[in-house]
Amino acid sequence: MSDTRPLIEMKNIDLIFGTFQALKDVSVSFDSGELVGLVGDNGAGKTTLIRILCGMHAPTNGEVYFDGQKINRFNPRLAIDLGIETIQQAVGLCNNLSIARNFYLGREPVKRRFGLPFLDFEKMRKKSESVIREFGLRENVSADDEVEILSGGERQSIKIGHAVEFKNRVIIMDEPTNHLSVREREHVNRLAVQLKEQGLLVIYITHAINQVHGISDRIVILENGEKITDIKSRDCTAEELINIIRHGGRVGLAENRG
Amino acid sequence: MRGAIKRFSKRQDFGAIASAGIIFIVFSVIDPSGWLSLSTLANVSHFSAILGFLAMGEALVLISKEIDLSLGSIYGLVGVAFITLAESLGIVGAFFAAMVLALLLGGINAFIIMRGNLPSMIVTLSTLFAYRGIIYVWTGGTIKSFSEAARAHWLTRLFGGEFFGIENAVVWAVLLLFILNTILQRTRTGNHLLAVGGDAESALSHGVNVVRTKSKAYLLAAGLAGLSGIITLCDKPQTHVTLGTLMELEAIASAVIGGCILTGGRGSVIGALIGAFIITSVRYELIALGAPSAWFITFVGIVLIVAVLFNQALSRWLLRSSA
Amino acid sequence: MTASSYKQFFRQHHEILVVGVAIVLVALFVTISRGMWASPYNLASILQVTATLGIMALAESLVITSGEIDISVGSTFGFSAITYLGLVPHLGSAAALIIALAAGFGIGALNGFLVVWFRLPSLIITLGTLLIFQGLCIAVTAGFSFSIPWAHRKNFVYQVLGGGNFLGVNTAVFWMLGLFILFQMILFAMPYGNRLLAVGGSSQTAHSRGISVKRVKFAAFALCGLLAGFAGVLEAGKLGFADGSMGRLMELQAIAACVLGGCALAGGRVSILGVLMGTFLLCGIQSFLVIMGVQPQWFMLVLGIIVVSAARADRVFRDWVLRGA
Repeated sequence: MSDTRPLIEMKNIDLIFGTFQALKDVSVSFDSGELVGLVGDNGAGKTTLIRILCGMHAPTNGEVYFDGQKINRFNPRLAIDLGIETIQQAVGLCNNLSIARNFYLGREPVKRRFGLPFLDFEKMRKKSESVIREFGLRENVSADDEVEILSGGERQSIKIGHAVEFKNRVIIMDEPTNHLSVREREHVNRLAVQLKEQGLLVIYITHAINQVHGISDRIVILENGEKITDIKSRDCTAEELINIIRHGGRVGLAENRG
Repeated sequence: MRGAIKRFSKRQDFGAIASAGIIFIVFSVIDPSGWLSLSTLANVSHFSAILGFLAMGEALVLISKEIDLSLGSIYGLVGVAFITLAESLGIVGAFFAAMVLALLLGGINAFIIMRGNLPSMIVTLSTLFAYRGIIYVWTGGTIKSFSEAARAHWLTRLFGGEFFGIENAVVWAVLLLFILNTILQRTRTGNHLLAVGGDAESALSHGVNVVRTKSKAYLLAAGLAGLSGIITLCDKPQTHVTLGTLMELEAIASAVIGGCILTGGRGSVIGALIGAFIITSVRYELIALGAPSAWFITFVGIVLIVAVLFNQALSRWLLRSSA
Repeated sequence: MTASSYKQFFRQHHEILVVGVAIVLVALFVTISRGMWASPYNLASILQVTATLGIMALAESLVITSGEIDISVGSTFGFSAITYLGLVPHLGSAAALIIALAAGFGIGALNGFLVVWFRLPSLIITLGTLLIFQGLCIAVTAGFSFSIPWAHRKNFVYQVLGGGNFLGVNTAVFWMLGLFILFQMILFAMPYGNRLLAVGGSSQTAHSRGISVKRVKFAAFALCGLLAGFAGVLEAGKLGFADGSMGRLMELQAIAACVLGGCALAGGRVSILGVLMGTFLLCGIQSFLVIMGVQPQWFMLVLGIIVVSAARADRVFRDWVLRGA
C-alpha cells in the first residue's frame, strides 16, 4: 500500500466461452499488502476471474495491467514468472506423481553431471517433507508416496505448502480451507494474514463470508459474471454482505442500512 | 431459403457432402469417359456400399465415444463362416448362423469392454488379432468357394445380385442408411447413443443405461460388418484369409471424413456412407488414371488428415458464430 | 514389511506383475520344452526380435505416457528401413543412418505438430500418417530392389548398426539395452521425465504450473519417430533387404508390449523394465509356440487373447493395490 499504483488492474473484462459469457465488464484492482476477499454465489465467476490472473484464460475483451505493464499474453508460465502463485480447487496435483515430484513440478531442482540435468531428489524430498509436515501430513507418509493415496485434507496441505514455499508477489487462494479441520482452517487464515503483512497481495475466494470478513481489508462480490460490490471490510458487516449475495445483488448496501 | 441453406451448412456431415459433390464433378471433368461410365459407377457404388456398412457401424460406435478396431476381422470371419457353413446348413441356414456369429463377436467385444472395464481401443485391437487368428485357424489358409447351385440360390441372389442394373449391395446400404439414420435421429436408442457419447455421466444421471446403450452400438456395428461380409461373398464367393484386413481403418477414416468426432456425441451415418464413397471413388479414379495402387493408401491418409482439420475448423467456427 | 507397505511398493511398481508372470512363464517354457526354449541359439534369436520390437515399444511408451497414442510407428519403421537400405550403397552406412533417422524424426515431428498445434485426436492423425507412409513404402519398393550388396555388409558401421554380431548376439540387442538405460534415466531422473509423467497424469495441472504441455507432447512424438526410425535401421541392417510390408502390424505389437508391461493407456504411468519384460514375454511366447510345433496360424489368436488377459490382469491388480490404501 506504499505504491500509489495498484499492483493488478483489470479493466472492463469480458470473458466469453462460445455462447456463454462468464464475465461481464468487470473492473477491479488489487494492491500489494492487501487481503481481498472475492466472494459470491456459485457460478458467479470468481474462479474464472482468477484464472485470467493465473494465465489459464485470456479475456475476450478488456485489459489487465500488472505493476503498470499491460499484459498481452496469458499463460501460466508468465503468471508464475510475474510472481503469481495459485491454490486452485480442481487443478494442482497429479495423482500419479509423488508428493515431492508434485511439489517441485515445473521448477525441478537439478544437479548437473556431465552437463546433463539430473533431478536433485535429496533436496526435493527434504524440502517438500518439511514444508508439508507443517501443514498436517501424517507421520507415516513420506515425500515419495503418491499423492493418490492421500486424504482430501492432506492434498490441500500440499497445495497450500507449495504456494507458501514459492510465494512471490501474489497468492491467490481458491477455497483454501476445503477439506480442512477447524484447527487447520485457522492456521490457513492466520497464514493468509501473515502473507499480507509480508507485503504480498492475497486474493481469497471463499463461501465463508464470516471467515473472510474478519481477516480481509476489502471484499469484492461477483454475481452472474458482474462485479456488484467492492467495499472495504471495515465499512460493512458480514451480515450485510451475506444479504447482498442472498438477494443476488438486487439489494445494495445503501438499502441495507436504511 | 437463406435460412435453409445456413441450416444445411451446419450439418455435421456438410463437409463430406460438399466434398463428395466436388469430387464427383472434378472426376467427371477430368475423366468423363472413364468416370461417367456405367460400369465404373456401378463398381464404385458397389464397393462404397461394402465399405459403407462398416463405416456406418463404426460411426455409431464413435458417436457413443468408443472405438471398434475389429470390424475388418468380423467382416472377414463372418464371410468365411457363411461360405463354410453353406455346405452343411444350406444357404439360408448359413446366413442366419453367420449373422448370429456376427452378433456374438460384437457381444464379446461389448462384454469384455463393459464388464472388464477396459479401454475399447485395447480390447478391439486384441479382438482384431483374435478374430483374424480364428480365420487363419479355421480355413487353414485354404480358399473356399461356392458351388453352382449355391450361387444361384435366391438368398445369394438377393444379396449379391442386381436390381435394375444396380448392385444389390447398394440397395441394401441405402436401405440400412435410412433405417440407421432414423434410429439415430428419431428414436430413444439414438438419443441415448448421442447422450452417452456426449456426456456419459449426465446421461447416467438421467437414467440412461450407459452399458446397454454402448453394447447396442457394438452389436449393431458387428452386425453391419457381418452383413457386409456376407454380401461380399454372395457377390464374389471366394474366401481368402486376408479378407477385410485394414478395412476397419478405412471404416474409421470414412466415418471421420463423414463428420464423426472422436470425442463422441456427434456424428452422422449419412456422412459415414458418403465418406466411404469418397474413399472408394478416389481409389477407383486413381487406379483408372494409371496411378500405382500404393498411392491410394497415401491419398487416404492425406484426405483423412485434411478432413479432420476441416471438420475441426468447421465446428469451431460454428461454435463462435452462434454466439 | 507390513501389508500396507507391500501394497505401496506394488502401487508404484506395476511392472512387478509382468516380471512375476515372466518368471513363471519362463520356468514353464523351459520345463515343457525340455530346455529347448532356453538353448543359447534360441535365446539369441528371441533377444534379436526383442531388440527391435523393444525399441518400438519404448518409442510407443513415450507417446502413451503423455496421454496420446501413435499407431504410425510401424510405417515409420518401414520407411526408415527402406530409406537406409536405399541409401547405403550410394552414401555409405553412416550418412544413410543420419538421413534415415532424420526421416523417422520428421514423421514423429509431423505427428506431434498436427496433434499438438491443431488439437486433433492422435489416433486419427497417426492413422493418417500410417496410411501416408505405408503407401509411400509400397510405392517406392514396387519394382525396386532394396538389398545391400555384399561389399557393404562388411562395413564396420553397417555391422554396428544391426548388420553383425557382438558376443554372439546381434548388435541391436546392445543398442536396445543402452536405449532402455538412457530412457530410464530421462524418464525418472530428469526434469523432462517428471513433466512428461505430469502431462499424462493431469495435463491441466501441468499447464497450471507453467509447463508447456504442447512442447512436452511434441517432444514425445518426435522422440517416438526417431526411435522407431532407428529400430527400422537396425532391422534393415539385420535383414539386408526390405520390402513394402516392413513394419506392418508392428505398432499393434508395440502397444501390446506396453500394455503387458503395465503402462497406463490413459497416460502418466510407465515402467521401462515393464516395457522390456512385456516385449520379451511377447517374443518368448511366440518362440515357445514355434518350438512346440504350434502352427503359425494360431499366433494371431493367441496374441489377441494375451493382450486382453494382460489388460484385465493389470486392471484387477490395480484395483487390488488401491483398495485399503
